[in-house]
Amino acid sequence: MNSVYVLILGFIIAILGYRVYAKYIDSKVMKADSKRATPATMYMDGVEFMPTNKNILFGYQFKSIAGAAPIIGPIIAIQWGWLPALIWILGGALFIGWVQDYSSAMIAMRSDGASFGGLSHKLISPRARIILLSFIYFYLLLIAGAFGNVVVSTAIGLKASPMAWLFLTIGGILAGQMIYRWKKDIILTTVVTVLIAMSGIWLGTIAPSNAIVGDALSNSRPLWAIVAFVFCYFAAVLPIWRFALPINYVASYIVFLGLLFGIVGIFVLHPDFTLPAYTDFSIKIGPLWPIMFVTIACGAISGWHSIVSSSGTARQLENELDARPVGGGVMFVEMMLALFALIIAGTLYASPAEYGAAIAKGPGGVFAAGVSKFLGVLGMPADIGRAYGSVMMIVLAITIMQLVIRFMRISTSELLGDISPIFKNAHVGTVVASLLGITVVLTGWWQYLWVLFGGANQLMASLALMLVTAYLMSEGKSYAWAFYPMIFMFITTIAALLFTSYNLLSKVLSGAVTGEALIGNTLMGVVGFFLVIAAIILGIEGFKAFNRYKKLRLAAKPASA
Amino acid sequence: MSEEKKGGFFQAIKEFAYGVAAHDSARFALKTRASMEHLFILITMGDMLGVPILPPYYSLRLLPYVVPQISTWKRRMLREKDLTDALA
Repeated sequence: MNSVYVLILGFIIAILGYRVYAKYIDSKVMKADSKRATPATMYMDGVEFMPTNKNILFGYQFKSIAGAAPIIGPIIAIQWGWLPALIWILGGALFIGWVQDYSSAMIAMRSDGASFGGLSHKLISPRARIILLSFIYFYLLLIAGAFGNVVVSTAIGLKASPMAWLFLTIGGILAGQMIYRWKKDIILTTVVTVLIAMSGIWLGTIAPSNAIVGDALSNSRPLWAIVAFVFCYFAAVLPIWRFALPINYVASYIVFLGLLFGIVGIFVLHPDFTLPAYTDFSIKIGPLWPIMFVTIACGAISGWHSIVSSSGTARQLENELDARPVGGGVMFVEMMLALFALIIAGTLYASPAEYGAAIAKGPGGVFAAGVSKFLGVLGMPADIGRAYGSVMMIVLAITIMQLVIRFMRISTSELLGDISPIFKNAHVGTVVASLLGITVVLTGWWQYLWVLFGGANQLMASLALMLVTAYLMSEGKSYAWAFYPMIFMFITTIAALLFTSYNLLSKVLSGAVTGEALIGNTLMGVVGFFLVIAAIILGIEGFKAFNRYKKLRLAAKPASA
Repeated sequence: MSEEKKGGFFQAIKEFAYGVAAHDSARFALKTRASMEHLFILITMGDMLGVPILPPYYSLRLLPYVVPQISTWKRRMLREKDLTDALA
C-alpha cells in the first residue's frame, strides 16, 4: 500500500470525525451554546481564567499534547504489522480519542473550570479524588521513565544529538535573557536563537559525542540519564522564564519545521509500505490485544490530553463552540502525527529483520532515519537530516519530561511536606523525583516500560471518560458515546497492565532476573499493580455513582397514569 | 472579499504559531506576577480571609490600591486547587 493513501485516509477520517460525529455530539448532545458564559469570561482574572482566541488555543493545545508518544507508539507497534496499527490509530481517534479530549474540556467548562480532583470529588466520591491524584503521581513517574529512556537511547544511538541538544539549551537560555532581561525584539531573538540551535545540529555531525568524550562515555546509559535529569532539575528549580519556557520556545520551531517538511517529503517520495501488513497475534512484547492498543498511546487516545483539556484549555475558552475545534480538532492533528510516524516505520526498511535491528537500539534512531529520508528529498544531507530527526525526538521527549519533574516536585512537597518540612524544599522535591526517574530509566527494559506507560496513560483516559459519563448521567444527557469507549479502554488497559506487571514480577519471583533488572522489574511491576488496584477502586466508585444517578433519574420521572 | 479571507487565514496562522510558541510563556509570566501580587495582598489584607497579619492601619492605607483586585484575589485564594493545576 502506498503511504499517500494512508495520509489521504487519515484526512478523510479526520474530516468525517470532526465535521459529522463531533459536530453532532457538540450540537445535539452537549448543546454547546455561544451565548452561555464560559468560566474564562465569568471568572476572568487575566491569569488562569482568560478568554483566549481559538486559534491561539489550538496552537497551545497542540503544543501541550504533542510529545514523543504519538511518534514512538506507532514505531514500536508496527511489530504487529502496519494494518492493525493503522486501524487502531484511525478507529481510536475517531471513536474515543477526540471524545475524551473534547468532553474533558466541556465538563470542566460546565463545572466552573474545576480540575479533575474537584470533578471526581463532586461527580463520584471524596475517596475518588485522593485515589485519582495518587494515580496521577505514579502515572507521571512512568512518563518520566519512558521518555527518559527515549532521550538516553537517542543520545547513545545518534552521536550527533548531544551537541544539538547542548546548542538548543544554549539558544533557549539566551532567548530567555534576550526577551525578559534585555527586552530585545521577539523576531530578532527568534532568528538568533533558532539559528544557534540549528547550528548545533550541523556541529553535531562534525563533532559527534564519541569524538569529544570517547566511545565509553558516549555509550554510557548512566551518563545520559544523569544529563537528562540534571536538565530537568534546572527546569524544575529555576524560574520558568529562565530555562524551561524559552527552551520550549526555540524547540517548537525545530519540531514544527521538521514535521512540516517531513510531510511534504512523504508526498514527494510517496513510498510504499515495505514491512508486512500483519505479522502475528502474539509477539515478543505481548499479544496484539491488549498490548498493541496501549503501545500506540497518544496517536489514538491519551489521558494526558484530558489533564491539559480540563486544567488548562477549559479555563481559557471564550466560547463553548470553540471546544470542538480546540479539544476535538487537535486530537485529529495528533492522529495525523501518529500516521506520519507509522509511515516512517513502515516504509523505511526493506525487511522486518532490518527494522528489528534498528528498533532494538530504540525508536529514536528509526524516527531520525525517517526524518532524514524525507527531508533529503528537499535537499538536506542525510547526516544532517539524521541529526535533525534525533534532536526532534529529544525535544519532544524532554519538554514533557521537564514539565513532569516540575510537577512531581510540587506533588512531593504536597504529599510529604507534612511528614517532614525538608520535602517542602524545591531542591529536595526535585532530587526525589529525579532519583525515582533515573532508577526507572536505568533498570527497566524500555519496551516493557513503554507498555506500562501506555497502559497508565490510557487508563487515565478511561478514568477521564468515567468522569464524563458521570457528568452526562447527572445532567440526564445521552451517555453511550462516552460510556462504551470508557468500558473498552478500562478493560483493555487493566488487561495490559496486569499482563505486563505479571510478566515482570514472575521473573523476579522465579529468580530469572538479577542486578539492575531485578530492581527494574520489581519497581515497574509494583507500580503497575498499584495503578491497577487504584483504577479498580475508582471503577467501583464510578459504578456506584452511575447507579446513584440512574436511581435519581428514575425517581425524578413522574408516575405514569 | 478574497483578500479579506486571505488576511483571515494568515492571521489564523499567526495566532496558531503564537499559541504553539509563546502562549504558555505569557501565561506563566502572568501566573508568576499574580502569585506575587496575591501573596502581597494576603500579607496586607489577610484579615478579609480570616488571617490577620498586619495592623489594620497599614491595611487601610493600602486598601484603595487593592480594591480593584479584591474579588479576583479572593476567588483565586479560595478556589479548590489540586495537583493537576500545576500541569497546565
